Amino acid sequence: MLALPVQAHEMVPTYPRLEMSHVDGLLKTTMKMFNKRADVEYYEVGVFDEDFNPVPFVTAYNVFKLDYLSHTVFDIYIRAKDRERAVYVCSKSKIRKDSNTKTAIASKICSKFEDKR
Amino acid sequence: MFIKKLALTTGLMLVPFATIAAEVPITGTVESRCIIQTSTPGTYGNPNAYTLSTQAADGGDQAVVRFDVSLADAYYAEITPPLAFSSAPNLPDQVSWTGEVSVQSVSDATGMGTYETDKLELGNTDRYTLTATGSTWFAIHSTATMGGNKAFPGGTYTAVAEAVCIAK
Repeated sequence: MLALPVQAHEMVPTYPRLEMSHVDGLLKTTMKMFNKRADVEYYEVGVFDEDFNPVPFVTAYNVFKLDYLSHTVFDIYIRAKDRERAVYVCSKSKIRKDSNTKTAIASKICSKFEDKR
Repeated sequence: MFIKKLALTTGLMLVPFATIAAEVPITGTVESRCIIQTSTPGTYGNPNAYTLSTQAADGGDQAVVRFDVSLADAYYAEITPPLAFSSAPNLPDQVSWTGEVSVQSVSDATGMGTYETDKLELGNTDRYTLTATGSTWFAIHSTATMGGNKAFPGGTYTAVAEAVCIAK
């Protein structure tokens, strides 16, 4: 029996809830990510509208390092006036240019804000 | 007599072990989620000087990506074959791309049997509605053809397919 390594990217929750933050006029949600892709070290986070146009947001790092088999929890802040526009929060794997694989797969997971379900 | 003593001694020795045994609860919660697993990254074969292909007949290896979902009818899978090289030597001409995505296998033949026929083709992207919980494996084929029947220069070529899981 051959055991193949699993290369997985996951982010929860699927339907994050925006809540008031400690800063006036900003809404906050918290996301969790797990990197089970040994070939990926960096992920990029973005917030998008219904048509996947970018919506302004703030987080600690838009592109952050997440080691293999590591978890991270990060907060996303958006302006209260962008609440209606913001539909998706997505994380995308960043493939290194010097990757040795001949074809690579960029994985992207998009959660949807709960009030847009 | 000796056997009785031995049994008593053994019994006494076991008491401390019995008393230190305790239940250690391991708890967890399962959140609905979509997980993208890159089962096979894929490789290009070089059947002739001006073609790179992931078809097995061309010496290549298709990329395979697996989607695991734990909530039914809550996600779309969108898969886009490569449309450019992310790294390559200097190319002598334009490259034309063709790609194809198909369901390779499913964990629930009843609930997922219509994924392939129900898919939407949005330009170069194929969209599947993941209506059942479980795993779906998608095969991604890619072919790059150099314009003007010119040869691909020697070197390493990398192209990136994109697999996206979007909450409905």
